[in-house]
Amino acid sequence: MLAVLNKYRSIFVVGLQSNLVYRWNFAVRAGFSLIHLTFVFVLWGAAFAGQTGIGGFDLRQTLTYFVVMLALQFFISAMNEDYEISEEIRNGLINQFLLKPINYYLYRFSLFVSARLVSGMLALIPLLLALPLLADKLVLPAFGWNYLAAIPALAMSAVIQFTIAYCFGLLTFWFLEIQSFIILSLAVETVLGGQVFPLDLLPKWLYAASAYLPYYYQMYFPAALLTGRITEQAVVLRGLGLQFFWMVALLAIAHLLWSRGLRRHTAVGG
Amino acid sequence: MNTLGHYTRLWLAGARYSIIRTMMFRADFIMWSLVELFWMAVNLLLIAVVYRHTNSIAGWGPWEMTLIVGTSMLVQRLLMGLFWTNLFEMGRNVRSGHFDFFMAQPGSPLFMVSTRKIDLDGFLNAPLALAVVLYAAHRLGLHPGIAQISLYFLFIICGLAIHYSTLLVLVSLVFWLQSAKGLEGGYFGVNEFSRLPREALRGIAAVIFVYALPVVVVTNVPARTLLYGAELGPALWLAGAAAFWLTVAILVFNRGLRRYSSASS
Repeated sequence: MLAVLNKYRSIFVVGLQSNLVYRWNFAVRAGFSLIHLTFVFVLWGAAFAGQTGIGGFDLRQTLTYFVVMLALQFFISAMNEDYEISEEIRNGLINQFLLKPINYYLYRFSLFVSARLVSGMLALIPLLLALPLLADKLVLPAFGWNYLAAIPALAMSAVIQFTIAYCFGLLTFWFLEIQSFIILSLAVETVLGGQVFPLDLLPKWLYAASAYLPYYYQMYFPAALLTGRITEQAVVLRGLGLQFFWMVALLAIAHLLWSRGLRRHTAVGG
Repeated sequence: MNTLGHYTRLWLAGARYSIIRTMMFRADFIMWSLVELFWMAVNLLLIAVVYRHTNSIAGWGPWEMTLIVGTSMLVQRLLMGLFWTNLFEMGRNVRSGHFDFFMAQPGSPLFMVSTRKIDLDGFLNAPLALAVVLYAAHRLGLHPGIAQISLYFLFIICGLAIHYSTLLVLVSLVFWLQSAKGLEGGYFGVNEFSRLPREALRGIAAVIFVYALPVVVVTNVPARTLLYGAELGPALWLAGAAAFWLTVAILVFNRGLRRYSSASS
């Protein structure tokens, strides 16, 4: 067991080193995300003008939601893992993993964790620099058990995000070009993950329906826990249960795609 | 006149090539059209959700806001259809040395680089963006005259020139930086502001996004022309900004071109 852990720990360390090489790319990306944050502040600031609350939350709570969402993107969301997996399949680089005692999913997941650690830490730099300007516009709920619930929620969100990207990457076994699938899926994930607007602003029936989809647990659920948009204990526990269900379901789908895809795969060359 | 005919023939040949190529990969074309359509729907959905909870954003009602968003989408689709792929590939070609190909073409390198391909999926969604504008105008009970409509399209062309120029300036940095990768992220970030009314921006944000990078003006001036008729000051500002940015972009591109030395063997 320890030997297995050591194997993936080594992959994690290598991933950490190679991601640090691209630290400026991550830093620039994080810097650009501040432009998006400015847009969010202007739009919602104008929408709140003349009223104290929207959907039961004031301006500061709403802006905090978007800042937390932005930070989470760099810590737990999949960025280009789907492309990398697709490239490895297309170029035959996965052949080496078929001959070694390495689980490809765990290999890629170790790299994902190392990449998010680097991108997350780097994203904090522009956010911390902007903090003096943002501080009076943000408000976090008092420390409570919703922060504790956010810990497993964040971990499961990361697994869900990565596994969805992994599944899209595996589609390369069937389709030569998967970029359009990825961008289309990104649009769905962006909306139903709550990155465009907090999902609780949707009509009640639509919000209730979205809670049954995996996208809800990608970003919105942990962000809502951290910003106090979800506080009711029963709702939190139900959310954690559904999130666990989706995590297991997606892992099963990933396993199925991998085993079916390998049957179609032809390893050519030396 | 002969020069114009020559470049028109070159553009038509490029367009014909792009259409034939697109039809060879029909499934891909359908998927990309859906992608563009879906992102347009996302923009409209945001407006719909915000206006469920408020009546006005900086004094603009839901259909006035839809008019701005539709105008922004129209400029964006035209940019995507006509120039995006070409400029995006320019960065890669300069790095790899494939840019030599454009230097050997029978026309100005800037023209050849900017217009070699057209993206049908971006182009085909432009009428849908226009339909959004028309529907918003209908809901607002607008009945613009020929002059207003002509000015609207003239301003769209000015807006397209501004977007093309800013993108060209960004991509031309590849002549100095060797890689312009990731800069498109910044472009999309800035472009988000084109979906906002001018009145929503104050302070430093107004200075940057209205005056320095006139993305807000690009959509607000045409939309206001449909709503209230032509306004001389903003119209001159938009036309001046288009001329300024186009000049800057051509200068930067030509300076970059002087630095270019083939990278291939």
